[in-house]
Amino acid sequence: MKQGFICCMVVSALALTMGCAKPPTDKLAAAEKAATEARAAGAPTYTAEDFAKLEGMLTAAKNEIAEQDAKLALLRDYGKAEQLLAAIETDAARVNTEAAKKKEEAKIAAIRSQRAAQEALKTTQELIKKAPVGKDRAALQAIKADAQGLTASLSEVQTALDAGDYQAAQTKAQTIREKSQAVQAEIQRAMTKVGAAKAQKGKQGRK
Amino acid sequence: MPAPTRGFLSRSAMVILLIASLAACVQTAPPELLEAVESLDRDLVAIRGVEFAPTEYARFVQDWAALRGRMLAEEDVIRWPWEPNPLVADLQKVHEEGEKAMAVATQRKEEDHRDAEARLTLLERRLRVFNSRVDQMESRVVLGQRPIETELLVKQARSFLEQGLFARSLQATEQASTLIAAQTALLTTELGRYADERLVGAWRQMARRTIAWSRTNRTTVILVNKADRRLTIYRNGRPVVSHPVRLGYNGILEKRYQGDGATPEGQYRVVKKRDRGQTQFYRALLLDYPNAEDRRRFQKARRAGAIPAKAFIGGQIEIHGEDDLPMSQTLGCLMLDNRRMDKLFEQVEVGTPVTIVGALKVSNPVALALADLEQSEEG
Repeated sequence: MKQGFICCMVVSALALTMGCAKPPTDKLAAAEKAATEARAAGAPTYTAEDFAKLEGMLTAAKNEIAEQDAKLALLRDYGKAEQLLAAIETDAARVNTEAAKKKEEAKIAAIRSQRAAQEALKTTQELIKKAPVGKDRAALQAIKADAQGLTASLSEVQTALDAGDYQAAQTKAQTIREKSQAVQAEIQRAMTKVGAAKAQKGKQGRK
Repeated sequence: MPAPTRGFLSRSAMVILLIASLAACVQTAPPELLEAVESLDRDLVAIRGVEFAPTEYARFVQDWAALRGRMLAEEDVIRWPWEPNPLVADLQKVHEEGEKAMAVATQRKEEDHRDAEARLTLLERRLRVFNSRVDQMESRVVLGQRPIETELLVKQARSFLEQGLFARSLQATEQASTLIAAQTALLTTELGRYADERLVGAWRQMARRTIAWSRTNRTTVILVNKADRRLTIYRNGRPVVSHPVRLGYNGILEKRYQGDGATPEGQYRVVKKRDRGQTQFYRALLLDYPNAEDRRRFQKARRAGAIPAKAFIGGQIEIHGEDDLPMSQTLGCLMLDNRRMDKLFEQVEVGTPVTIVGALKVSNPVALALADLEQSEEG
């Protein structure tokens, strides 16, 4: 009789203690918020693998919570899920910082490329003003169209920068700079050629 | 043999208990297996597993994260040596998943690389053919800034490919491809008339009339073929000499208004001879453009809104020599080198008929280049 009473008391005490295990809803919300912030910081682009791991951990934590939820109330243990969620929060902060850092680096590199492209294009436009027409007037017109195209493309670089697409901005700016330099070289060659022809003409005139 | 004493038994039991308690150990993951999984993890990061094997990589990451969590949670769990270490089996499972993800990622990355490279190479080849045909037709200016936009996109696609950004490379390749198709369509619209049998027939008629006039009146006439870039002098209905000629910077087009750089087509006459010092282009023969037909066409186009409302019809179309004055432009004239211009200038009088046609054959260089372009688009 007395033993039965003690058993009941122990079971009740256990039920009171263990039955209180509640799903870590707040911690899950905090982890999800941290992952969302990392996404907003550009983690899927700039720290893709770390972000994938973060999402993997979040899924694992959710699975663990669901697994525990499916158990009898007395047997539920959210300890493991809580540990995972805590790790997610810590990792998310690190991923967030890392992504922001890499994004900033990409932005700086893209802006630097944009400036280089702007300078190259400016030099090209100045050279076009001095360009000799020579025998090939269509070539000059084509060069002018190229300069216009390069100017239009430069505005696309700004659009990409504004949209935070630094990869596109940088590659576009680099191609604009390269092409501007090629056009400059083309004009320089024509100028040298015309200069030489004029000098030759001058010599012949003096004879 | 003496029976073991009670003290001996007791000490033995203590030693066994001590060994057993020491042998019961904290469960740890085998370091070599752990290192193998971590190494796979690093390799998957390097190969961008998330991009090339998203499903497999997600599974690996999820299980690896869960296992690490468990390892963290159970690091104090003590097991007897004869008990199996479940971490070994789980690590092996994660390792297998990682290897699978790695194999899939490697294969897909290689496939994507090959695909992007093949498409880009094809596009680069297509662009070379396109540029060569455009040069052949001297129609680069017709396309405005599109050629440079295309070139930039192709270079961008190559840059993305070199960075291993295959999806972006494909995207740029696709955009460039669309741009080339649009330019081909534009050229077909603008230059399709060179392949128009009816129009070429009309040009041929015009040329025949001019030559017949030369024969009948036993005089000199000039026939200019825009597609062939040739200026031919006929005397008494017979060709005497033919010179290569350059057109306006947009010369291949039909002239519509002043400043469009197009060379007009029609029947004209030399109205003035401009010798050295009277023209900036060495020596020149001024034509009577615009004639009545040009004016009628211009008014019709203006009424239809096909040309800017404030556009003028233009004039001062000449056959002239060359000069190297900076920024001087030919806005639709015909240009010969100075040596040939000298000869022409001496052979031609004021009043000489000058007939300018687009082409005399349907299989002219412009039509052929255009057909080639259209064919490559269809191919």
